[in-house]
Amino acid sequence: MAKSLGIFVTTPDNLDHVIGITKAAKAKGSNVKVFFTWKATTLAKDPKFPGLCKLADDVSICVDSYKKQGFSVDDVPEGLDPKKMATQAQHGIIIEDFDCYLSL
Amino acid sequence: MEYKKVCLMYRHEDYALDGIRSALGLAVENMYAYGVVMDKEIDELDELNQESIEMLRDMEGEVFSTVAANVEKNGFEAITIEELGEKLREMTHIVPYGIK
Amino acid sequence: MKILNVYRSEPDETVQKLVEIVTRDREADTFDLYAGNPDYDALVDKIFAADQTICWW
Repeated sequence: MAKSLGIFVTTPDNLDHVIGITKAAKAKGSNVKVFFTWKATTLAKDPKFPGLCKLADDVSICVDSYKKQGFSVDDVPEGLDPKKMATQAQHGIIIEDFDCYLSL
Repeated sequence: MEYKKVCLMYRHEDYALDGIRSALGLAVENMYAYGVVMDKEIDELDELNQESIEMLRDMEGEVFSTVAANVEKNGFEAITIEELGEKLREMTHIVPYGIK
Repeated sequence: MKILNVYRSEPDETVQKLVEIVTRDREADTFDLYAGNPDYDALVDKIFAADQTICWW
């Protein structure tokens, strides 16, 4: 069985890499979780973001960071489950529960 | 149970404070979490951020810096690149945070 | 212990020094994420084969 992969995204420049890696990992049967924090939460407004939400098993963002980037909590990004407007605990889940870890 | 050991490193001043907050978030989740402010001098921290660092220390975490001014101004622990490299060898997770 | 060093940009002196210490006496592999069109399939294989992946700035 393929290993699971957690991706912690901290920069706003790597969405294509996140999508490319997620796609490749999913093709190998992996369970993929992605968590966006700080300036990377602006990527939730990228037109490619809803596609990533469909592709990965779990996508979440740090809601506190999202607010600090100027967005309203009520402005749920397209494709994202409102329950996935979450906290840094998501990062903890990636570290504790996933076989492989990648920060981007 | 073996606890995770995570080191987050910040090379850009716009990412340091949030990165420290991220380290605190992991300490709360029962991990050993460390932050390292590298390369850049950052502003003096306000009371709230100082409190966050105190909380991190209470949970056996620490914030280090390779920059002397940050050590003097914000009470971070001084660390050299060589010492940081050795510390990283002990970590289960290494996070070069943000951009440089 | 097998370490995978992924580079988001060309490694500078600081990164080179850290990589040298972290990988000392350990098996290591690398992947350049900044070079053109990355082969994500190959990268994921390397991530799965490694005990620890470090994605440098």
